[in-house]
Order: sequence, then C-alpha cells, then structure tokens
Amino acid sequence: MSSGDAITLIPAFNEEPRLPAILEGLRDVFGESEVVVIDDGSRDGTGAVARRHGATVLTHPFNLGYGAALQTGYKYALGRGAKLVVQIDADGQHDPRQIPALVRLLLEGEADLVLGSRFLEPGMYHMGRMRTIARLGFQRLARVAGLQITDPTSGFQAMNRAVLDLYTLEFFPSDYPDVDVLLEAHRSGLRIRECPVAMNESQRPSTLHGGLKSLYYIYRLALALFAGLRLGNQRQG
Amino acid sequence: MDQTIDLGQLREAFLQASESDTPRVIAVVFSVLLLLAVLLLVRRRRLREEYTPIWVAVSVVITLVALRLDLLVGLTRAVGGWTVSSTLFFLGEVFLLLICLQYAVRLSRHGDRIKDLAQEAALMRARVDRLSGLAARERDRPLAPGAPR
Repeated sequence: MSSGDAITLIPAFNEEPRLPAILEGLRDVFGESEVVVIDDGSRDGTGAVARRHGATVLTHPFNLGYGAALQTGYKYALGRGAKLVVQIDADGQHDPRQIPALVRLLLEGEADLVLGSRFLEPGMYHMGRMRTIARLGFQRLARVAGLQITDPTSGFQAMNRAVLDLYTLEFFPSDYPDVDVLLEAHRSGLRIRECPVAMNESQRPSTLHGGLKSLYYIYRLALALFAGLRLGNQRQG
Repeated sequence: MDQTIDLGQLREAFLQASESDTPRVIAVVFSVLLLLAVLLLVRRRRLREEYTPIWVAVSVVITLVALRLDLLVGLTRAVGGWTVSSTLFFLGEVFLLLICLQYAVRLSRHGDRIKDLAQEAALMRARVDRLSGLAARERDRPLAPGAPR
C-alpha cells in the first residue's frame, strides 16, 4: 500500500498533553499512513502539537462534537482518495500497535468495517456498572436489528472507501456515532467484523460514554432502531 | 328543596353567559401591541420579514376572536369546554407547541448547515496550508544553471 492510500484519523479536543504519545506510537507501527488530527475547536495547543509531529491538521472554527470531527476526517480522506482509513481516539485508550490486526481483515477482503473490540475475548477490559449496562443494552438492541457485535461503542475502527461513502452522508450524527451508525452500515450491506484488542482506561478525567450520558445513548439507539425499522418498511414498500 | 346541580345545564349556562368587555379590550390591546412590536423589530432589522407573517396573522386572529367571541362557542361545545376563554387558552397552548416544534425543526436544519460550513472551512484551510507549503518549496528551490530567472 503506497503512501496516501491509508489515512489515520484522530479526532481531538483539548488533547495537547496526550497527543504526542499517540502520534509517536503511530509513526512506529503505521508509518506509511498520513496522520490527520481533527482539532475540534480546542482551546489548548492541540493543533500546534499535531503539526510539530508531522500530522495534517484539520481545524474546526469551534467545537462541533466527536461525530462531526470524525466526519470531517472522512470527508478529507474521501477527497484525498484514501483506500483505507483507521480511526483512533486521542485520549490514550487505543494502542496503535493493534492497528495491523484491524487493517489485516480489511486488506484480506474479509470486511468493509473492522471494529476493535474490548469484549470479544473475556477479561480484556473492565467497565463501570453504568457503562456496562449501557453496553449490554446497545448489544441487545443491535441484535434485535440483526447486528451481532460485542463492543458497539468502540471508536477504534478501520474501514474502506465504501464505508467512507456512507459516513460522509447527512445522517451521520454530530455527537456520538455509535450503534445507530453501525446499524445504518449493516442495513446498507456493508460487512462489519470485530477484532479483539486490548484497550487502556481513558486518560481523560471524564469519558464520553460515562454516567447519565449512557442513558441518553440508549434512548438515541431506541430512536435509531425505530427510525431504521420505519426506513426498512419504506424500502420494502 | 332539591339542591342537585345538573352539570349539563350548568355548562350550558356558562356557555350562554355573556363575557364581560374587559377580556376583549385586553385581547385587542395585546394584539395591537404585538403587531407594533413585530413592525418595530423589522424596522430595527432584528426580525427578518420571512418570520413576520405568522405573528401578524396571530395578531389579526386575536383581534377577530376578541371582537366576536361567540364564534368560539361552537368550538367550545365541540371540545367539551365550559367557557370560551378556556378554549382560547387551549388553542393558544396548541399554537405555542406547534410553533416550538417548527422552530426546533428549523434549528436542526441550521445546525446541520453550520456543521457542514465549519467542516468545509476546516478542509479548505488544510488545502490552503498544503498549497502554501508547496508554493514555498517551489519558491525556495535553487534554480538550475542557465535557467531563466
């Protein structure tokens, strides 16, 4: 795979302290890819740090949300003609050394979208009670819609161009692209696979999927399922 | 003496009772003030013309209803109300709910547009940075011997 065919996306909001380790780790294991940091309106030196480490920086004029930051990256990758995109969080939760395992499934043509899963192998990751409840809720609801996945909130993913085509459409949420987006990919006929990965605890003081937000995600998912069923009915009709 | 009250008769008595003029006057004054406020806001460029028809219509409807409250008696009977004024409040609430929903739809659309614009700005800026870098490298490249300056 030549340079430019693969792009690594890192959405980042006020991640100046944690970004250098991720960028250095990426250079060591996935040096052939262009690294793109999407600075989502950070107030610290996130963009400057990323540039110093040789990353391309896409700067939002103000904070748009995690999902919108990812989508900016997808749009960039699509415009650059990337054939393969890896997305990794900037909070130190994902280990760049696991990228080759994710990418392998794509390159072998086994899948269009590969999710790094903390739960495919037991005992790899410990979650708090609320988040576990939310995850299991997601998992069950996704199963209702015919999607078998163990880690529906994983932001550690690898995808091909077919997924980029879908994820740059209007439906993609600005806040948290979780199971609703995976369901849309599943409904669109894209092949989704999981790959076991070890993840660290997030180094951020509070995580995106913690506390009451978990309840909001379940509500969102239920809404997405309802909308999806309606869409399904319309397609059949 | 039989003190049983027939609710049907009581309701009919409420519906037939003539409304006092005070609520009518208040309603007309309010609608005129609303109309003036709308015109003033447009004049000061704080309200766009496209948002005015609904408020002008509200002002006109309030005035009409205040002057001809009897128009609402039939509706009050239909919805099971006891007084014309309670029907008026009910209609007001329905109107406010609908207008809030309509503004939520508009806000969602504007939110999507703002997101798209911000993303486009980020992508354009990255492109400008890349082209500026290429131009700088081209400018700084040493000229080949004999090449025209």
